Amino acid sequence: MTTSRDDAAVFTRVFDRHRHAVYAYFLGRVSDPELARDLVQEAFLRVWRRLSEVGPLPDGQQRAWVFTVARNLTIDSYRTGAARQAAEDALRHEATTREATVAGPHAQVELGERLARLEAVIGQLPEDQRVVLSMTTAGGMTSRQIGEALGEPAGTVRYRLSRARKQLAGALDLEEDGA
Amino acid sequence: MTSHADHELDQLLAVWAQTHRLADADAEQIRQTIVPEDLALPATWWSDFNSRVSEVIARATAMPTPAIAAWT
Repeated sequence: MTTSRDDAAVFTRVFDRHRHAVYAYFLGRVSDPELARDLVQEAFLRVWRRLSEVGPLPDGQQRAWVFTVARNLTIDSYRTGAARQAAEDALRHEATTREATVAGPHAQVELGERLARLEAVIGQLPEDQRVVLSMTTAGGMTSRQIGEALGEPAGTVRYRLSRARKQLAGALDLEEDGA
Repeated sequence: MTSHADHELDQLLAVWAQTHRLADADAEQIRQTIVPEDLALPATWWSDFNSRVSEVIARATAMPTPAIAAWT
């Protein structure tokens, strides 16, 4: 492939536009930051190889292209067992973390405990709910954008998000605290 | 969910999201791994190129040594 500074600039624009969303997607799928990072690299390597095709696409189509690659990569990764193993390891790690209490000021300890609990509950969510939650919160995407990316109706995305939030609120006793 | 619970969950998720984003340093490392760094031409590329072209032209148009011998 002949490369130029223009190609690098186009790639950087595509990368900067989608990297947070793609990482959030992978994180939701595999629950392992390191594996998610590797998958981001692999996904954008494919973007680089097909840059002349992907670069000129409008934002929505570009997102759809990138996420088609991302979904295929996750399937490949699951086939090799890496993602599933990482998710299981992460869940085991979270269960251990939940029991550990960090010493320090009361408020910090409380926040730390709540975050550890949140992490554990997110890890136990059904995968489709965890993915949309991650893409919304860590990826900063709207339901419409997530729907476009995953090839699903925005209403389905909103429903999954609502279910996820309800489960989190229940597990963290937020209903009772807020009542 | 009450609005208070919603708000509290939003705050917790915002903190969670901060620790679950792709760090800028990691992103830059990924970008550099994918995009070759030596895309920019060296500052002396044009003068080196011109020198090489001039040398080739000079060699190609120079009178061969046997011809010079015959001439003199």
